[in-house]
Amino acid sequence: MPGSCSSLPKPPAVRVQIYGLLRLLLGGREVLEIPWQEGDTVGSALEKFQAALPVPVNHRLLDAAGALHQGTIILVNRRNILHLDGLGTVLHDGDVLALFPPGAGG
Amino acid sequence: MVPHDPERYSRQLLFWGEQTQRLIGKGALLIAGVGGLGATVSQILARAGVARLHLVDDGVVELSDLQRQSLYGECDLGRKKVMVAKERLRQINSAVEVVAHDYRIGGTGTLPEGIDGVADCLDNFAGRFALYRAVPEGRFFLHGGVQGNQGQVLTLIKGASRPLEEILAGCRQPEGIIPVTPGSVFVIAGLMAQELLENLAGTPKLLDRFLVVDLAAFTFSFLEV
Repeated sequence: MPGSCSSLPKPPAVRVQIYGLLRLLLGGREVLEIPWQEGDTVGSALEKFQAALPVPVNHRLLDAAGALHQGTIILVNRRNILHLDGLGTVLHDGDVLALFPPGAGG
Repeated sequence: MVPHDPERYSRQLLFWGEQTQRLIGKGALLIAGVGGLGATVSQILARAGVARLHLVDDGVVELSDLQRQSLYGECDLGRKKVMVAKERLRQINSAVEVVAHDYRIGGTGTLPEGIDGVADCLDNFAGRFALYRAVPEGRFFLHGGVQGNQGQVLTLIKGASRPLEEILAGCRQPEGIIPVTPGSVFVIAGLMAQELLENLAGTPKLLDRFLVVDLAAFTFSFLEV
């Protein structure tokens, strides 16, 4: 049927926006969509994010113990995850996850 | 209020008109930090004809500052930055009132009264958070930061926006000296000055959204907060 392809449902996904040095590491890539499933958290989304990339980047976000580094902020729908449930923050289909290492100097 | 001077401001009046110039000409701003960002931000604001600039810094001019701090030269080494900055800004535009405050943000000093907004040109997160807490309700807070060849600019309204400390929660100062290029400092400072003028005119472009600048890739991106 003409036009039926455009009405196919979009697979559930989380949109990851990448900034700064992280973007440079990913060859200038600005956004990556990763598949979402019920129960996903920021922590599990970061694992999927890493699995979808050809180069290691999560060491820029997390230390060896899996705790957040202090040089990058992670926002879910504009809110810092440290004011939500941290890496355990539950994600929903269509959420926007932003990874931003702000410049510290002046 | 800076007196109307059609000759001095002729180029910008052609662009933004007399109404905007009047708003700028009665603006009073606090520039927190007159290092890399603050030196150029305050210079642009003085040239644009802002009425009053309060400069806050407790540092002295060092040799390593001269690659990016546009108000200082070799003859100023060892002198208090706020005093040198005040002299230079008055040489640039004597109609602008410049008030020097020799103290460190986060210490015992309090912010002056009567300011329209604050420019965060500081070089550390602890100072930024202390500055934000000290800003009066309803005033605008213009954040800038730079590192390497990237940086960011953001406008917040105290009491209406999310607090800076919440947005940047978890950020701690990197260890050691922060690498920074002259070009990135001038670019971020120029964007900050532009947004400060927009705030004075009542038309902020970066309210509750970062402009993230990456000079490695020559990209500008927005990040809503």
